Amino acid sequence: MAEDVKPTRKNLMAIEDRIELSERGHDTLEQKRDGLIMEFMDILDQAQDVRSELSDDYKTAQRKLNMARAMEGDVAVRGAAAALQEHPEITTQSKNIMGVVVPQIESTKVKKNLGERGYGLLGSSARIDEAADAYEELLETLILAAEVETAMKKMLEEIETTKRRVNALEFKLLPELYDNQDYIEQKLEEQEREEIFRLKKIKGKKEDEEREEREAEQEAEEAAETVPADD
Amino acid sequence: MSQEIAVIGSPDFTTGFRLAGVRKCENVPDDEKDEQLDDAVERVLEDDDVGIIIMYNDDLDHLSRSARNAVETSIEPTLVTLGGGAGSGGLRDQIKRAIGIDLMDEED
Repeated sequence: MAEDVKPTRKNLMAIEDRIELSERGHDTLEQKRDGLIMEFMDILDQAQDVRSELSDDYKTAQRKLNMARAMEGDVAVRGAAAALQEHPEITTQSKNIMGVVVPQIESTKVKKNLGERGYGLLGSSARIDEAADAYEELLETLILAAEVETAMKKMLEEIETTKRRVNALEFKLLPELYDNQDYIEQKLEEQEREEIFRLKKIKGKKEDEEREEREAEQEAEEAAETVPADD
Repeated sequence: MSQEIAVIGSPDFTTGFRLAGVRKCENVPDDEKDEQLDDAVERVLEDDDVGIIIMYNDDLDHLSRSARNAVETSIEPTLVTLGGGAGSGGLRDQIKRAIGIDLMDEED
């Protein structure tokens, strides 16, 4: 509230400094927000591509799994799935995009050859191998999607935070500071006008006193002149 | 530190991933999803060894509001949903909120 600040020159200077700093911060944050949105747009295009690839891979994998189930039976598929010994692993490294730390996910042991799968050549069929292949491919796309979507989530969080800061400066802090500045300037002007009025009053009073003094002296002089001589 | 991939869903959904070597699978039968899916999600979210959670997009509707919010906004582990469009997993709403435009709608 503007009425909370003391209308002094010192406060006015402090508020002017804060306005300058806030305006600079506002401009910088606006640039950061725009930059983040541009970076986000690039990632969004990539995400759309990965999503459509993911959808295709999922459909293919499902079709192949259903085929394996139909041909070999559900028990055989579940048995092969339970026999697997190598498990896919992911390691996460980080990358910095405009101050936002986004992950870079690297995967190992996703794609396996027949020998590494552990269910043996005799105990399974080509249908199960095809389904396993398709799901391994799907996993690779999923890992890529996870990387891209995590980056998107992090960037969106940062964009939201920056946007909130820009709005807080633009619609809350700066208007308040401008109000305070106006209030102090008005109060100081009012004080100045009062001071001038007071000085004028004092000057008028002094002039009146001087005039009265002068008149009194004049009357005294005239009185002295009109006294008759004795001789 | 190396992490693993976890899959949550019906046994039909998880079987394919088990075939690809994923061992952290939370099997929740279709008729018990309303009661058990929340617990399964919570267990996976608390597991530090999990880096990616895979779920079927429609299964998110069975989650309670808090569990859904927790899994959708989680960054580590991160959620990837299958069977939904590009804006699935709460991403579309987040984009609308942050950018102010429905970018996913424009791209469709």
